[in-house]
Amino acid sequence: MIPAFALLIGVILGLVLDPTVPLWLQPYLPIAVVAALDAVFGGVRAWLDGLFDAKVFVVSFVSNVLVAALIVFLGDKLGVGGQLSTAVVVVLGIRIFGNAAAIRRHVFRA
Amino acid sequence: MSTHRATSGPQPAGMITALLEQTLDPAYAEAAQRRDTGPADHRWNARAVLAAVVVAGLILGVAYADTRAAAPSSERTRLALVAEVQRETALGADLQQRLEELRAEVSLALDDALTATRDGRAQAERVSTLEYASGVLAVSGPGLRVTVSDAPPEETLDPVTGEPIDAVPEAGLVLDIDLQAVVNGLWAAGAEAIAVGGQRLSSTTSIRTAGEAILVDFRPVTSPYVVEAIGGEQLVSRFAGSDTAARYDAYRQLYGIGFDLVSADTLDLPAAADTDLRFAGPVAREQPGETK
Repeated sequence: MIPAFALLIGVILGLVLDPTVPLWLQPYLPIAVVAALDAVFGGVRAWLDGLFDAKVFVVSFVSNVLVAALIVFLGDKLGVGGQLSTAVVVVLGIRIFGNAAAIRRHVFRA
Repeated sequence: MSTHRATSGPQPAGMITALLEQTLDPAYAEAAQRRDTGPADHRWNARAVLAAVVVAGLILGVAYADTRAAAPSSERTRLALVAEVQRETALGADLQQRLEELRAEVSLALDDALTATRDGRAQAERVSTLEYASGVLAVSGPGLRVTVSDAPPEETLDPVTGEPIDAVPEAGLVLDIDLQAVVNGLWAAGAEAIAVGGQRLSSTTSIRTAGEAILVDFRPVTSPYVVEAIGGEQLVSRFAGSDTAARYDAYRQLYGIGFDLVSADTLDLPAAADTDLRFAGPVAREQPGETK
């Protein structure tokens, strides 16, 4: 429950503060969103599985965001930024879907 | 893919199946195993988790705010264009007003000049009759106000986005031919001067559709379309009893379009906008200047 509130607080902070995202950071924002969602869904699923581990969650969250950003950065430098962004979105998207399905099985038993 | 894996073990295809099947980070399972066997690691407590979750939420919120801020740039351009169109339309209306004033002055001066001679008086009479008939001069008098409007919007699904929107059903849209029919009906009922949406009709005025807008004399008019006609006493009763009125009354009941007749004691119709002098002949040949 508390983490849910923390997520909500984060969202509200982001909306209220409405910080101007510098132009060079803009390409990373969608990727960061997908990576963050992946970590959050993974964490929730692990918690429901009874496997949650604080260290794994924090490290996977930070590394997910950083690695995703790094891949996009490298892709931009190599001229394949769009394709690598797609790759990141596909891989993380599959994981998000898989975890969401596992969460659904836990919650609805279906 | 599964048969391939069954025969050859964790080969390249295994990477994809692992991706599809093992959606939970394996690190969780390993950490759980470590917890079972070794001492618990207390350095990563709930506070770090909360901080990470807040940051995750922050990313979502910022991304939302950023996307929302970026999207309206096209909308802003559109609004700026709309404002410019409105400004220029207002300027055009001002100029039109000025033109009408000047035209009235010219007409008065013409009358003065003509009425100075006996011969001129007949000419003046003729000129002013023609001017009223052709829409060069603003007129006022008793008449009929016909209001035609689109049917009230109904909730439907947007064909492009699939989102529910309020839209006028196609059968309830007033088209240019509807306005043409009403105007023709009014002429037939004996109207002497007609204006649609405040645009006086002259003999060359067009009523036509451009895209989704109806243009009268190349100026857009929108629903409700007010058609004002000045005519004799018979106008109201003759139009109300006409086929056109009967037909649109039926459309009103069938499709829900607005069709409303109100007789008015005084209607003020402006002069027509586009009345260029196209043809003129010398007075001596009994063919006075004709304006269109």
